[in-house]
Amino acid sequence: MSIDKDLREELRQVADSMHCPPDLYERVQQSYQHYVNGKRGRFSMKKRILTGIIAAAILIPSAVFASSYLADEIFGSVETIEQHGGSQESYQEIEEMLQAAKGKLTEDEFEEYTELFKQMVQLKLKMTDEKGIKHEEKLTKEEQQQFEQLGSKLAPYFEKINGD
Amino acid sequence: MNDKELLPWLEKATLGDESAFQLVYQATHQDVYRTVAFLVYNKQDIEDIVNEVYMHMWRSFHKYDPNRPVRFWLHGITVRLVQDWKRKTWRRIRLFERNRQMTCEQFEWTDKAVLQSEMQYELFSLVRQLSYKLRVVVILRYFHDYALDEIADILQIPVGTVKSRHHLALKELRKRFEMTGGDAYVH
Repeated sequence: MSIDKDLREELRQVADSMHCPPDLYERVQQSYQHYVNGKRGRFSMKKRILTGIIAAAILIPSAVFASSYLADEIFGSVETIEQHGGSQESYQEIEEMLQAAKGKLTEDEFEEYTELFKQMVQLKLKMTDEKGIKHEEKLTKEEQQQFEQLGSKLAPYFEKINGD
Repeated sequence: MNDKELLPWLEKATLGDESAFQLVYQATHQDVYRTVAFLVYNKQDIEDIVNEVYMHMWRSFHKYDPNRPVRFWLHGITVRLVQDWKRKTWRRIRLFERNRQMTCEQFEWTDKAVLQSEMQYELFSLVRQLSYKLRVVVILRYFHDYALDEIADILQIPVGTVKSRHHLALKELRKRFEMTGGDAYVH
């Protein structure tokens, strides 16, 4: 008598008597539905990520172009100067001046220069009305002092820029 | 349905074709259920594992090696999940002891059919008493007719280990069979 043969035979007979409960089908089907929905969800997630990347790819260069105006850093936008009697042309002039400064100054110098220039512009804007007329009395004493200091601090930079 | 017929349906099912899913389930569920039921005895656990096996089938279909039979792949998943489940139960038991929550869980033990078989088939009842490591080898060898090297592949253990477990399992079965008064098996 061979144990191999008997084992095979018995296991087969026992297996035949074991039946997968029919209600298990519903459960497996539910998890299958869950899997299918999850798969679709994942796909739309992929799409969403892709859309995000494309949007970023479009937006980033346009943001770079937008901030390529150095004068924007000082004034915010051309509207600011227009409200104080300035024009598109004068804005363009300032822009050219800044571009020239960027070319002639070192990076650190330019940073310092823009910072000082920005402060000066703020004060200038404060004392200039919409027609472009200066009213020094609009500034406080401290502000007037600050304005003068800024002028003397900026002088060497101006010399350097306009010099050679 | 044989392996070659099953494969395209399986692929369709993983892509979300519900009728293909039904076909795959019909073609495989008894085999999966029986394999699990030979290895795990709690009815609720058997059903949980069968459900998991199908989840894994859909999710890991891309890992299926077309040079191998579908059933071989399927049995690999089944056995791995049974082993995962055993590890989890072990953890659960330790947690159980730590919390000392001796609440009576309503366990529904294996079908009556299996219990009846145990009475009827002496050898089978002895197989059920073997340790899991020996039993899984016996089931794969004598229920699924896998060669020892294939069993090694499924269990992801060396062939030598499978051989020694196989040998040990038969030795145990012979010994116990004689002890229960059955006729001695020729070696």
